[in-house]
Amino acid sequence: MKRSIAVVLGAAATAISLVLTGCGSGSDSSDSSSGPVTLTLAGWSLSTTPEFKTLADGFHAAHPDVTVQLKEYDATNYDTQMIADLAAGKAPDIYVQKNLKNFYTYQHGKQLLDVSDVAKQLGDSVGGLSDYQVDGKTYAIPYRQDTWVLFYNKDLFTKAGVPDPDGSWTWDDYVNASKQLTAKLKSAGSKALGDYEHTWQSTVQGFALAQTPGASLQSGNFSYLKPYYSRALDLQKSGAQVSLGDATTNSLTYQAEFGKQQAAMMLMGTWYIATLLSQQASGDADQFQWGMAPAPQFDKSTTGTSATPVSFGDPTGLGINPKISKNKVAVAKQFLAYAAGTDGAKALAGIGITPANTSAVTGTFFALKGMPTDDLSKFAFATHNTKPENPVSKYTAGLQNILNDLHTSVMSANKPVDAAITDAQQRAKNEVLNK
Amino acid sequence: MTSMPVARRRRGRLVWRNTLVGWSFLLPNFVGFAVLTLVPVVLLFYYAFTDWDVFGGAQWSGLANYRQLLHDHSFWTALENTLYYTVAHIPLTLAASLALALLLNRKLRGVAFFRTVAFFPYITSIVALAQVWNMLFSPGYGPINEILRWVGISHPPGWTTSSDWSMPAVIIVGTWREMGYYMLLFLAGLQTIPGHLYEAARVDGANAWQRFRAVTLPGLRPTTFFVTVMLTIGSFKVFDLILVMTNGGPGQSTLVLSQFIYQKGFVENQFGYASAVSIVLFLICLVVTVVQFAVNRRRSS
Repeated sequence: MKRSIAVVLGAAATAISLVLTGCGSGSDSSDSSSGPVTLTLAGWSLSTTPEFKTLADGFHAAHPDVTVQLKEYDATNYDTQMIADLAAGKAPDIYVQKNLKNFYTYQHGKQLLDVSDVAKQLGDSVGGLSDYQVDGKTYAIPYRQDTWVLFYNKDLFTKAGVPDPDGSWTWDDYVNASKQLTAKLKSAGSKALGDYEHTWQSTVQGFALAQTPGASLQSGNFSYLKPYYSRALDLQKSGAQVSLGDATTNSLTYQAEFGKQQAAMMLMGTWYIATLLSQQASGDADQFQWGMAPAPQFDKSTTGTSATPVSFGDPTGLGINPKISKNKVAVAKQFLAYAAGTDGAKALAGIGITPANTSAVTGTFFALKGMPTDDLSKFAFATHNTKPENPVSKYTAGLQNILNDLHTSVMSANKPVDAAITDAQQRAKNEVLNK
Repeated sequence: MTSMPVARRRRGRLVWRNTLVGWSFLLPNFVGFAVLTLVPVVLLFYYAFTDWDVFGGAQWSGLANYRQLLHDHSFWTALENTLYYTVAHIPLTLAASLALALLLNRKLRGVAFFRTVAFFPYITSIVALAQVWNMLFSPGYGPINEILRWVGISHPPGWTTSSDWSMPAVIIVGTWREMGYYMLLFLAGLQTIPGHLYEAARVDGANAWQRFRAVTLPGLRPTTFFVTVMLTIGSFKVFDLILVMTNGGPGQSTLVLSQFIYQKGFVENQFGYASAVSIVLFLICLVVTVVQFAVNRRRSS
C-alpha cells in the first residue's frame, strides 16, 4: 500500500515537473521569435527624475519593437528595496547601480550578468567603466558620471572685487579666496560667506582620497586626510564657511545656500547643474551669473587648463539581472550600449544630466538655457580625471561608516584631527579589515 | 446508564466548538503576526549563527559572530550609550509623567486642554519634532542657547553638535516626547484609587506629602510597574529619535544598539552579524524585564 502511494506521488511529481518544463520551454521558443519585446528597467522618483524615461523613450524610438517599462523604487531606500527584490527574484531585467558602495554586494552576490562585450564595444570614451570591472570582467555599464567641480557666483565675486577662479587653484588658493570674499563681502554690506561646505563626509574625504598620491581607503592608513581637514577647520573657524554644527542643526540645504546666494563658492557634483538651472527658471533660486571651475588641486602639477585636474565622483551604471529570460539578454545589452553611447549621452545632456561620455555632449550641454558660456566652465565640465569616491571592495561600506564618524567628530571640533585619525585607523583594523 | 456517554460526547463537542470559535476570532490577527513577526523572529535565531549577505544561502559560522562582538569596540560603545540613555531616560520620564498626571488630575479650569497639550508631542511626527528641536538646540543661533546666554551662562553647551552634550539633548527630547503618553496611563491609574482612602488619611492628620507616599504611590503600583517595563523596553530599543536627531553623532557619541544593528545589517549588508547583535539586545531586554517582574512580585507579596 505504502509503496504504491509513493509511486503514485512520484509519478505525479514527475508529471507536474514535465508539464512545467514543457510550459517553460514552450514560452521561451515563442518569445524568441522576433516579435515585440518588453524590457523592465528600475528607476526612482520618476516624477522628478526624468533620466529613466528619457532613456526608455530614446531606445524605443530607435528600436520600435522594444518597449522599456519602468519600475519605480523609493530614492532613499533604493538599494534596500532592490536587494529585497533581487533576493525574491522579482527585480526588473535591468537595474541601476545608484552608487559604487553597494556594487560589491551585487557583484559578489552574483546578481549581475557579465557585460564585458558591451564594454569592449564602447571603448574608453565612457568615464567610470573601470570602476565596474572585477577580475577583468565588466559587470555594469556607466551611463552617467558626475564629477565634483567648483561652482561659483560671478555676481558675488564682482561685488567683492575678487578675481574669478582661473583653473590654477590649489587648496591654499581656495582657502585664501574664501577668506577674502567673506571679508570683502561683509564690508560691501552682504551677508554672504566665502564658501559653503555641505555636511557630507565626501566634501572633504572625496578630494583627499582622489588627489593625494598613494592614498588608499583599504590601506587603513588615513593620514592623507589631515591637510584637508586642517584647511576645512581653518575655514570654519575663520567664519568663511558655516560650521558643520550649524548646517546640521538648521538642516541647511546646499541648493538654498548656493541658489539663494548665501555663499560665493561651493564644491558640488555636476548633478547640481540641472537642479540650479531648473531652480533659477522656477524662481526657487535667485537670478545670478554663475560659472564652474575645476576643483582646487593637491599641488600645482595638475592645475592650469593644459593639465587634467583630478576630482572624484561615483558613476551611475546599469546592470543586467541574471534572472532575465535568455532571449532578452541581447536586447538588454543593446539598451546598455545605447544608454552609455553617444545617442544616450546626447539625450541625457538634453535634460541637464551629466552622461558618462562628457566630451561627446559638451556642445549640447552648454546650449541649455541658463548655462554659463565661458571657456573655464566648459573645461571644468569636460576635462577631468575622476576617481571613485567609493573604490569597490568588500570593506568600502564599513570603512566609510568609520570615516563618517571621523568627519562629524572632527568638523564639530570634538576631537583633534590627529586623535580622530588614529582612532579611525584603530577601528578600521579591528572592526572591518580583519574580516 | 446510557445517558452518561452521550453527555460526555456532547460536552466534548461543545469544548471543540468553543475552541474553534476562539481560534477563528484569533486567526486574522494571528496569521498576520505569524507571517510578519513570528517567522522572522524564529529565523533571526538561525541567522544569528551564520554569515549572510542576503544573496545566496547563509553559511553556518557557529559562535564566530559572538566572538567578533566581544572585540568590537563600536558594539561596546553602542551598549554603553544605550545604557546611558536608559538609565537617565527612565527615571526622568517616570517622574515627569507622574508629576504631570498629579497636576492634571485636579479639578482645574481647562484641564482637558492641558492634558491634550501634554499628549501632543507623542502624536507629532518624530522627524518634524527632531528637526525643530535641532534648531532650538543650534549652538550659534538656537533660542535655547540665547536664553542661557541671557541668563548669564557665557559658554552654553553645544548640544547635538558636542559629543558630551548630544546624549543629554536626545534624552531631553525623548522625555518630553513620551511623558504625555505615560501621563495618560498614570491618570487612568489615579482614577482607580478610592477617594475614601484620602479622606481617611486626612482624618488621621496626614499632610499632602504623607498622603502621596502612603496612598497615591501604593495605589499606583500596578500602573508604575507597567510603565516601568514599557519604558525599559522602549529605552533599550530607542532608534528613530536618535537616527533623525543626531544619526549617532558627533563621532559615535549617540550611537545606540538599534542603530548599530541597522548599520551592520542594512548599510553594510552583514545580516548574520546584525542578527547576532539583535539577539544580544533581545536577551538584555528579557533579563531586565524578568528581574523587574521578580522584584514586583516580591514587593507586592
